[in-house]
Amino acid sequence: MNTIRLATPADILGMQECNLRNLPENYQFKYYAYHAMTWPQLSYVAEDHKGRIVGYILAKMEEDPSDEPHGHVTSISVLRSYRRLGIAKKLMIQAQDAMATIYKAHYVSLHVRKSNRAAIGLYRDTLGFEVHELEKKYYADGEDAFAMRLRLNSPPS
Amino acid sequence: MAPTGVPAKRILPQKESTLFRTILQQYETKQHKKALKSCDQILKKFPEHGETTSMKGLILTNLQKKEEGLELVKKGVRLDLTSHICWHVFGLVHKTDRNYEEALKCYAQALRFDKDNINILRDASNLFMQVRNYEGAQDARFTLLKLRPTLRQGWLALAVAYHLNDRLEDAQSLLMHYLRIVKNVPDHDVEHSEVMLYYLRVLYDLKRWNDALEFIDLNVQYNSIIDRVALLEYRARVLSALGRKDEAEEEWRRLIKQNPDCYEYYRGFLSNRGIDLDKLTDEIRAETLGLFKGFCDEYPKSTTPWRIPLDITSGDEFKELVKPYLQKGLTRGIPSLFADLKSLYVNSEKKAIIQEVMEGFKDEYRDQSNPSKVADDASPAEYLWTLYFLAQHYATDPSTISTSLSLLDTALEHTPTLPELHMIKARALKRAGDYVRASVNMENARKLDLQDRALNSKSAKYMFRVGMIEEANTLLGMFTRKDTRPASDLEDMQCFPFLIQEGDAWTRAGRLNLALKRYRAVDKTYDDIEDDQLDFHAYCVRKYTLNAYVDMTFYMDSLRASPPYERGAISAARIYVRLHDDSSLVASSIPQQSVSEKKAKKKAKRAELKVQEDAKKGTGASDDKAEAPAEKKDEDPDGMKLLTAPDPLEQAAKVLRPMEHLTVTSIGFWIVSFDVAIRRKKYLQALKALRHAKAIAFDDAQLHTRILEFKKTISSLENLPSPMSTVIAEALPELFPAESSLEGYNSDYMQKHPGSPGAILGGARGLVVIRGAAGAQEDATELVFQLLRDETRLDIQTALDALQFLEQELKSPRTEEFRSACSRRFPLSTTFLSAEEQAAVRTEMEKSAAPEESKPELDSL
Repeated sequence: MNTIRLATPADILGMQECNLRNLPENYQFKYYAYHAMTWPQLSYVAEDHKGRIVGYILAKMEEDPSDEPHGHVTSISVLRSYRRLGIAKKLMIQAQDAMATIYKAHYVSLHVRKSNRAAIGLYRDTLGFEVHELEKKYYADGEDAFAMRLRLNSPPS
Repeated sequence: MAPTGVPAKRILPQKESTLFRTILQQYETKQHKKALKSCDQILKKFPEHGETTSMKGLILTNLQKKEEGLELVKKGVRLDLTSHICWHVFGLVHKTDRNYEEALKCYAQALRFDKDNINILRDASNLFMQVRNYEGAQDARFTLLKLRPTLRQGWLALAVAYHLNDRLEDAQSLLMHYLRIVKNVPDHDVEHSEVMLYYLRVLYDLKRWNDALEFIDLNVQYNSIIDRVALLEYRARVLSALGRKDEAEEEWRRLIKQNPDCYEYYRGFLSNRGIDLDKLTDEIRAETLGLFKGFCDEYPKSTTPWRIPLDITSGDEFKELVKPYLQKGLTRGIPSLFADLKSLYVNSEKKAIIQEVMEGFKDEYRDQSNPSKVADDASPAEYLWTLYFLAQHYATDPSTISTSLSLLDTALEHTPTLPELHMIKARALKRAGDYVRASVNMENARKLDLQDRALNSKSAKYMFRVGMIEEANTLLGMFTRKDTRPASDLEDMQCFPFLIQEGDAWTRAGRLNLALKRYRAVDKTYDDIEDDQLDFHAYCVRKYTLNAYVDMTFYMDSLRASPPYERGAISAARIYVRLHDDSSLVASSIPQQSVSEKKAKKKAKRAELKVQEDAKKGTGASDDKAEAPAEKKDEDPDGMKLLTAPDPLEQAAKVLRPMEHLTVTSIGFWIVSFDVAIRRKKYLQALKALRHAKAIAFDDAQLHTRILEFKKTISSLENLPSPMSTVIAEALPELFPAESSLEGYNSDYMQKHPGSPGAILGGARGLVVIRGAAGAQEDATELVFQLLRDETRLDIQTALDALQFLEQELKSPRTEEFRSACSRRFPLSTTFLSAEEQAAVRTEMEKSAAPEESKPELDSL
């Protein structure tokens, strides 16, 4: 039985382990903690009945005063054996809702490796993101990134 | 005119005095090289100026000249013992060294000479938080608030200190006061909203439900708490606590609507109705099922309301619910379907029902004449996922693993390109003790989807299990940074599973230095994580994220109870115990190198040097930007220093100590704690470890031998000091009956657990404790061979432990005989074969069975 809930500091080790298992972009504990201590309402986890983190979304707000307020997905992933349950979408919906209602975000952005077709498919087809632009050599190893965006409905007043 | 009371030697002429202030600014803005020049300028004229000397020292420590810097910092203090700057600097250097207690002593000195110095008070209050001296933090923050009452954050900082110092009432009244006086809060202010949520938490923790509700409703009205979900959660909980069930239920329903996959919300909803899922009467069960039926209709896409009823039903009712649940999972091809339902298997009736239903599906889907073909009117994908599920189902029981494997063969014949099937096959083989074929199959899975890191990590894990350490590293390197070795990137990224898996692999290979290297990297990483908190003490107050901060602080207090630390610490301590018992292990850890190995090592070293060179070039250290510290050189690349550290038991005690006061649920921790304590002659600690272990599993075989060891050791001691001897005399009977002899106790233990392989091996080990290895050899070997009797339910792990016991402890001449007997007992296994035989199996496998690296055909399913 899985549950989807807000991430707490006690989830960081599990999120980090899930991330390392699945994705090539990894972060130290402190970076997760920085998210949790700055935007404690935005990150969510999926947990199995044993308390293992099987999916997460690590999210933040972009603080660029020249642009309209928008959220950013630093990382999202679901363990391979927990796919096809719609977990990524459920995580994303919770995070988006928090971004829109709490921070009045107009859109959500994320980066994805140009070669990662599986992830691009997920973001575009399942989650509704669109490619906004190509960022040359975004990744440390020189690979290009697609910057993708999803407009958010304005929050109910 | 100098202020009174300032010693003459501190006063500088105006020009130098201005320059000194510049130094402070330059230091703040990290212009270290410029600051250093300025220091030298002053010191040229006034070489005995303490504060400048201190500053120069501080700057040098920031420029990688730690020792020289520290000398100057100390000299500065000596030159000017009453300068708060000199003491503050000394404190900062200690802080950088993670020596927080010493740093705090220096801050205390500094405050003696400048008691209202805001910077020092702030620094000190945060360090007090870091070392969990909440009283100290509270006092410092109280002073700060008095000095700057108009600063908002001062109020919040003090409130948090009260909170953590268990003075929740004081936190509450301070926050209430703050919320009354705070003015000019803009609309929709996230920070203010967070503060109010923090206040709400304090009210909630104080169980002041009415105040909490009033506060919530006021804020609903003014819309000032903008985190709608958090507010709803509080309102639901508070209304439930007040017994206002109908209103509460409305809120719980809203929460479920907000997130229909959140298990906690359903629990809150039920508990508001007085329903506890673990204690259901038939009547309430019917009511509960009705409620979930409603939720399923409302949220058909959520899994939770469909899944919970499976926990609370049985018999036909269960069957009726589980069938469509399984059907839906198969249609959607959900790989985790089995993992999801496995928790129901504790109930053997449910396990049987699931098997029956799934076997039914299998018969329905397959072509009756050919099991690898799908029936005409069935979906091939569903058939495949059915086989996939059943294969996992049968792999849970050692006696049906061959059924599992043959189902997988059918499935693979049908679809050779689905990585999941190969993964499950690998896992079934692993359970059967065939780690070699398991690893080959996991490699096959990986090759089917090279872009997937999950498959990569899994395959590397299986390679570690069969000792293919280099190959595993090469594999992992496909997803790690290219400018460094895979292991150092993974350590950098705090990848605990890697550190533990490789540590275990080196342990099995007898390379204890390298094993220690990995295990100790685990606790080093935990040190880093603990230190990561340091910046957050001030940060969270500045960001108003007080709830998150308090959660983090509480969590950090139990951080080392998390599994990776436990695994690393136990494994390292076990090695230290072995090193203590047998110092020849140091020599045997280092294999004689062949010429080619030496060459490879040289090559690796050259490559590493090149990496370091490149890294240096890359940073292009410019003069005045924040100078990044160069990557630290590994002082002990092969773990030889760890291996040869003078007092292994002391090292072991050090890694175990942080867990002692935490709630540890693994018996392994207390067993190794005992092993360390008894060897260090810390008999009370040994006793404590035994009592904890007994509380976890009183008849554990490892515990049994330790109790013998304890009894034997204590009996042989004369004249224990008096309080200790009394405590032990009083506690011993609850572990070891007074009337028993050692031999009698040992055979009683085995008789109490007839047919239990763990108990038989425990009895054999017990003989060694009682008589020594030589004296026990014959009888203990005889006992080990009893493991092979038909009525003993021997499992692979116990067989492996027994083999190791024969070989390493008893040095029994019948070791090989036992090994081949095990091989026959577990015909699917390869783990009892010699290394050469295992390698041959692998080569054979790789030659014959590797699937074509073809395009997945899943799309067509």
